[in-house]
Amino acid sequence: MSAVRCVDLCKTYRQGDQDIKALDHVNLEITSGDFVCLSAPSGGGKTTLLNAIGGLDTPDSGEVYVAGQRIDNLSKSDLADLRLRKIGFVFQAYNLIPVLTARENIEFVMQVQGVPASERREKSLAILHEVGLETLEDRRPAKMSGGQQQRVAVARAIVSRPELVLADEPTANLDSKTAGELMELFTALNERHNSTFIIATHDQHIMTYAKRLIRMLDGRIVEDIDQRAA
Amino acid sequence: MHIVLRLAWRNLWRQPRRTWLTTGAMVFCNILLVFMMSMQFGMYGMMIDNTLQIFTGHLQVQAPGYKDEQKMRQVVPNILPLANTIRAELQSKAVAARGRTFVLASSEERSYGVMVYGVEPEFEQNVSNIPGLVRDGRYLRDHDAAEIVIGSILARNLRVDIGDEMTLLGGGADGSFAAAVVDVVGIFTSGVTAIDRNIAEIPLGLFQETFSMRGAGHQIVVVGEDLDEVPLLQMRVQSVLPAGSELQVLDWDTLQPGLRQVIQADMSSSFFMYFVLVVLVSFSVLNTQLMSVLERTREFGIVMALGLKPGKLGGLIMLETALMGMMGVVLGAFAGALFTSWFTTNGLAIPGMEEMAAQFNLPAKMYPRVNLLTLLAGPGIVFVFTMLAAIYPALRLRWQNPVEAMRVA
Amino acid sequence: MRLFGVLFRLAWRNLWRNHRRTTIMLCAIAVGVWAMIFMTALTRGMVDQMIIEGIRTLPGHVQIHNPKFLDDPSISNPVSISAQQSFDDPEIVAWSSRVKVPAVISSERESRGITLLGIDPVAERHISFIKYDEVDGRFLVDSDDKGIVIGAKLANILETEIGKRVVIMSQDPDNDIADRGFRVVGLYTASTGAVEEAYAFVGRATVQKMLRIGNQTTEVVFVGDDYRDVEALYEVILDAVDDSVSVQRWYETNTYLGSMLNVMDGFVVVWIIVIFLALSFGLVNTLMMAVFERVREIGLMLALGMKPGSILGQILIESMLLLLIGLVAGNMLAWATVMSLQGGIDVSVVAEGLEMFGAASVLYPKLNVDDMILASKVVLVLGFLASLSPAWRASRYKPVEALAKVG
Repeated sequence: MSAVRCVDLCKTYRQGDQDIKALDHVNLEITSGDFVCLSAPSGGGKTTLLNAIGGLDTPDSGEVYVAGQRIDNLSKSDLADLRLRKIGFVFQAYNLIPVLTARENIEFVMQVQGVPASERREKSLAILHEVGLETLEDRRPAKMSGGQQQRVAVARAIVSRPELVLADEPTANLDSKTAGELMELFTALNERHNSTFIIATHDQHIMTYAKRLIRMLDGRIVEDIDQRAA
Repeated sequence: MHIVLRLAWRNLWRQPRRTWLTTGAMVFCNILLVFMMSMQFGMYGMMIDNTLQIFTGHLQVQAPGYKDEQKMRQVVPNILPLANTIRAELQSKAVAARGRTFVLASSEERSYGVMVYGVEPEFEQNVSNIPGLVRDGRYLRDHDAAEIVIGSILARNLRVDIGDEMTLLGGGADGSFAAAVVDVVGIFTSGVTAIDRNIAEIPLGLFQETFSMRGAGHQIVVVGEDLDEVPLLQMRVQSVLPAGSELQVLDWDTLQPGLRQVIQADMSSSFFMYFVLVVLVSFSVLNTQLMSVLERTREFGIVMALGLKPGKLGGLIMLETALMGMMGVVLGAFAGALFTSWFTTNGLAIPGMEEMAAQFNLPAKMYPRVNLLTLLAGPGIVFVFTMLAAIYPALRLRWQNPVEAMRVA
Repeated sequence: MRLFGVLFRLAWRNLWRNHRRTTIMLCAIAVGVWAMIFMTALTRGMVDQMIIEGIRTLPGHVQIHNPKFLDDPSISNPVSISAQQSFDDPEIVAWSSRVKVPAVISSERESRGITLLGIDPVAERHISFIKYDEVDGRFLVDSDDKGIVIGAKLANILETEIGKRVVIMSQDPDNDIADRGFRVVGLYTASTGAVEEAYAFVGRATVQKMLRIGNQTTEVVFVGDDYRDVEALYEVILDAVDDSVSVQRWYETNTYLGSMLNVMDGFVVVWIIVIFLALSFGLVNTLMMAVFERVREIGLMLALGMKPGSILGQILIESMLLLLIGLVAGNMLAWATVMSLQGGIDVSVVAEGLEMFGAASVLYPKLNVDDMILASKVVLVLGFLASLSPAWRASRYKPVEALAKVG
């Protein structure tokens, strides 16, 4: 079964007096449970594609399906619901709400979803343990290191068992050791929870963790490698 | 433009919305202050004028003690020659002698107690607006005629009209019984209930004869060009009083102490209100400038690291505040003047206010008076408080250490 | 509801993130609310005193007159209700019938015009502004009392004193002069000299005899529980009398006091709104800054699937919290100020000026729960409206753009 399917996606931005093709007839299918790295240089269109898949942005033309549901024609409110219930996000930075503690940040999505308090607590404690941050439960983001913050963000993304986890340059602000640890965590979670992961990056080292590597250039997919075979 | 000035000006417009909101608070406050102060001074002026115009005048010559007790025998002797002397000294016709007593006034059907003034018919119109307020009939003409002019409510209560006869009963200055029969020749309407109900005027000659005054009266009223002239007038009148006489020359403030006190009471409550408004605006400025300092901490850290003294930066903050304050003053005074001047031509009528206004001899419609003081006092004070409010944010910079400042992201 | 919980928590914590800014804004709100309520309490205290004083000196809460008396306040227009008729209803706290006529009072030295009140001192005890036991000399004993009680200031002007005689002249129904000598038995003091000069009290039966009017009177006055609510009393009296008399509430009899009450109500509302407007600039500014510096978080929350409505709600809750805390502080401050001034504020420096208003020289601020509620309502409702704009802006961010914002 396919977790994500994109059909003939196009998106053009206007920058100054120049049209930039961020997505140029992109066709893509990602199977459920896959671990995909999306790699492209800056401006290569990876963030645009990620945003289109995540329902944060709508393409100019083409179709996007998440878990079999077409999403490119949904209303803003339905898109918000889709993001809330089916997709987990990890961003490059400022992932966490500064006034909430680690555990509260993890519970945030569940709280908006309307999960009862006891269940939230149980799940958030479990996931904190899983990402190795059980001692930081009551800390606010400002008192955590960059790596710890990203781990909390990953925990939040995975905690409500979304179909799809999207991460946009999650390691960009981390040193290589911490970045490696974060990727180990992604891999482990992918195997354990069988969620689909799509990670956008331009870091060669990160790409090695992926089962499938998709390279983009100027809004087009230029290379699609199954790394398990290799 | 000087570079620092330009820097300050540009900094203000980095957050245009915030600057406009803060300036907006000042402008709002300034418009209000200009309007309220103009209204106040317009009202005070009118209150003084209207109250003094009715009877009091600017100055009065009286016997000692008359002001408080108003007894029949506390008289100004030989009042007509003295009034003439004062007229000659001041070369003014706005000087009039009066007698004043309380009588029981009876018509055919009714009797009421009224205050009767004996007046000089040819001069009274120069010191009081009652002669001009006669709507029916005419004012007094002859110094000795048995005529009376009464207020409209009194006429209604007594059920008399022009040409009807009235009897006045009272006591003479010597304690004797006094009575006079007079014809109603005029009825006046001032709009002030207490005056229209209680006041009657007869010629001074008749008054003196009826109440055994022996040529005396109770007050000589003097009206000058304007209130500023009063102290000088007072000295000149004093100088022509007969040697050795105990007579006093009292100014309007002494005669109507309530007037000044009403103004004082009103002023103090108004100033309390102004003060609160200004303080609220100052909080707004304090908040804005403090935020502006805090969010530029990093930037300030860099320039301090480059060697700029914190004092200079504090000065920059004060300059930014001053620029914002100036905008508030200019826009506020301008908008306030526009807003207020609309009312100076059209007047402000507050529904339901008529009764209260009448209590203070004010018309139902009020006209603010705009002058330089009312225009600039409020905005000036707001400016001063604005600058005071910026001191704390400016001082905070002094305590800043460049390295620490730069570390704050 | 669960969502409200998380929004509330976010709003509360965000409020204290920039504690300096919040504290300054709170100070501003508290000072504003304090000023609203304190100023209102002062004017209420003054007006209350004026009206209570005014009602006591003059009309009672409800009065009965001959319909013609209002235009022609003469003894020729008496009230036909006999003094013997009794009014009995729980709404009526006290009532009395009076002979009130204009008269001239003369000593051997001076004459003055006064309002002569022929009263039944027993029935009048709870209506009159005079405290019987504080009268210098004695107050009237009964309706047949042959003495007269006048104000201290009037006695001074007339150069008379207790034990001396004065002559009262007035008019009988046939417009003949009726006069009679009275012995001064008591001198009363009142809050203003004007009152002391204006009213003299004699026994009702004595004055009826002097004016040859049998047992007719000119007015009947009724006092109920509270001057602010005289409608029930008014209805009771209307039912008890026939068409031959007119029944009036106090504010119809004394339009100055009546309009005073309305003008003050208007003033209170205008004052509260003006203060709020001065505050609103700071409030909107504070919220805007708060939204502006949180753009990325707002983008994050939107990206995670929070609805724009929740963002709007979060900012509004934050604003309401700020206003609520400010309101509580301001109300408490005002309450404390008023409590500390229970002894009254001495404003005798401007006593003669206040006399022109009809106010006394000691001001007792009066805290009115309704005014506190009114001020709080105005602040919350208008504050809510003022917060809508920044909150709306916050909810309209596009998640992708907001997240990308470099702050």
